[in-house]
Amino acid sequence: MARGLRPLVRGALLLAAASVVVFAATALLPGDAAQLRVSPGATDEQVRALRQELGQDAAPWRLYTDWTAGLLRGDLGTSLVNDRPVLDAVLQRLPATATLIGLSLALAAPAMLLLGGWAGAARASRGAAGAFLTGGAAVPAVVVAAGAAALLSGVLDLVPAVSLLPPGTHPVHHPELLVLPVLSMALPTALFGAGLVSGAVADTVSRPHVVDALRRGRPLWSVAAVDVLPFLLAPFTRVLAVSAGGLIAATTIVETLFGYPGLGSLLVSAVASRDTPVVQAVAMLAAAVVLAGLAVSDAVADGTDPRSRAW
Amino acid sequence: MVNRLLATVLLAAVLATAALGGWAAPYDPTDPVAPPWQGSGPGHLLGTDALGRDVWSRVLSGGADLLAVSVTAALAASATGLAGGLAAGWLGGAADRVLTALTDLLLAVPSLLLALVAAIALPGPAAVVVATVCGGAPLTLRVVRDAVRAVRTTGYVEAARCRGESTAAIALREILPAMKGTVLADLGLRLVVAVQIASALNVLGFGTPPPEPDWALMLRENMAGVAMNPWAVAAPALALGLTTTALALSVYLATDRDPRATTSREDTRAGI
Repeated sequence: MARGLRPLVRGALLLAAASVVVFAATALLPGDAAQLRVSPGATDEQVRALRQELGQDAAPWRLYTDWTAGLLRGDLGTSLVNDRPVLDAVLQRLPATATLIGLSLALAAPAMLLLGGWAGAARASRGAAGAFLTGGAAVPAVVVAAGAAALLSGVLDLVPAVSLLPPGTHPVHHPELLVLPVLSMALPTALFGAGLVSGAVADTVSRPHVVDALRRGRPLWSVAAVDVLPFLLAPFTRVLAVSAGGLIAATTIVETLFGYPGLGSLLVSAVASRDTPVVQAVAMLAAAVVLAGLAVSDAVADGTDPRSRAW
Repeated sequence: MVNRLLATVLLAAVLATAALGGWAAPYDPTDPVAPPWQGSGPGHLLGTDALGRDVWSRVLSGGADLLAVSVTAALAASATGLAGGLAAGWLGGAADRVLTALTDLLLAVPSLLLALVAAIALPGPAAVVVATVCGGAPLTLRVVRDAVRAVRTTGYVEAARCRGESTAAIALREILPAMKGTVLADLGLRLVVAVQIASALNVLGFGTPPPEPDWALMLRENMAGVAMNPWAVAAPALALGLTTTALALSVYLATDRDPRATTSREDTRAGI
């Protein structure tokens, strides 16, 4: 029981630490919303008055405890730019981003297993497969997005280059708008994940039971399914968790480039307008999802570790 | 061997173009010199962009700042990780545990998100450095720590201790030379990630301000006219992609025969 709880406790502690980092980076440093909102030429007096009105003049520790208490109650504060509740903005954009990340992961996961299996099995010869994955994974996400747009929209004219979603509609009803963002996110993730999976595959295929099964002449697919796949469960879950974190970060680039109205583009515009409550809320949501993914992968690793079995 | 040579030559060519290309540019990269969105043709090798600026000149001058920021960030990450790794590996015990816990914490956060949060208070280049150090130094630290622990009890290091040499002298003369290859390969990976973060911040508008030429910024600026002049997007995309791919391949091929290197391959991406 205590063992099963460990990933949960670790995740909660890391989330608390992340909240301190996010708060320190956004609230304590210069770049203050009050200075941003006053009209040009305002006196120091007026800036101070506005800061008081915005509730930004209390002691830092006080602001932090108020903020975390609000988060725990589900109160994310109000936007400094338009005075609307942050929770509304987040909830409105959450489905679009969740769809984007879910589809990208669903597309990338099988590709990771196939490419990773191929590269891992070929690792004895090194060279081509590993070099392909390494070189491909190094290409910046912006380049993949721009390349996909230039090819599919610019040259072939298959899909719109801008994925402006009418407000209040779910992206599933406009699949053509999802093609470029999903491709731009899934492709780098698949190559990156395949590189990680290939290491685990290479380790597994050199295990004695796999070598033995192959020598007995059992068909390749049966060896892959029965003798190799179970050993990949824990590392593959880990790769998926890390990839999900990468996908969350990638939404900022992809959503901004394609004008897709999700949490990633919300975060970018909030950073640009120094809208700290929005930045804090989106960053904490991202951190919570990333850490939850890592906690799940830790739990799977603990659960599938043969040493932890009770018999 | 031939592959390795090819990758190195490609890398050197890309880096030299980025660093020195500005001097070879036929036009001023910020001056409108022809009608907008011209295709490739005589006088303008890669055509022109939305404002009629020469794309070839902008590609030649658009990598210098990006690479300068990235190299600074990579060196800072590598130096921080090296210092931490030496301390953790050499001291062991409580120092090792504290540093390992700190690296676990930092590695849980995607670097690009860190860069964005940092960009709220810092100028773009500083945010790139902060994110690269926070996301990269922990990986360097792990690699260096393991390497230090491996050589700590070897004969030549013990001999140096018996001669009464100071810890600093042992670190500089005995330990560092033994892991030169590991540290250099790791520096290459830090640089790949730094370029990825820097290009992302530039595309999002927190880095190089227009009208300065910048590969990443050009991608966004020229997307609207991609049907009229595809080179305006393709050329900067190729330049960026070639830079990071050549870097990663050079590292991959250089560490090909080094069994320790497989451990560090885990993180050629910034979680972007």
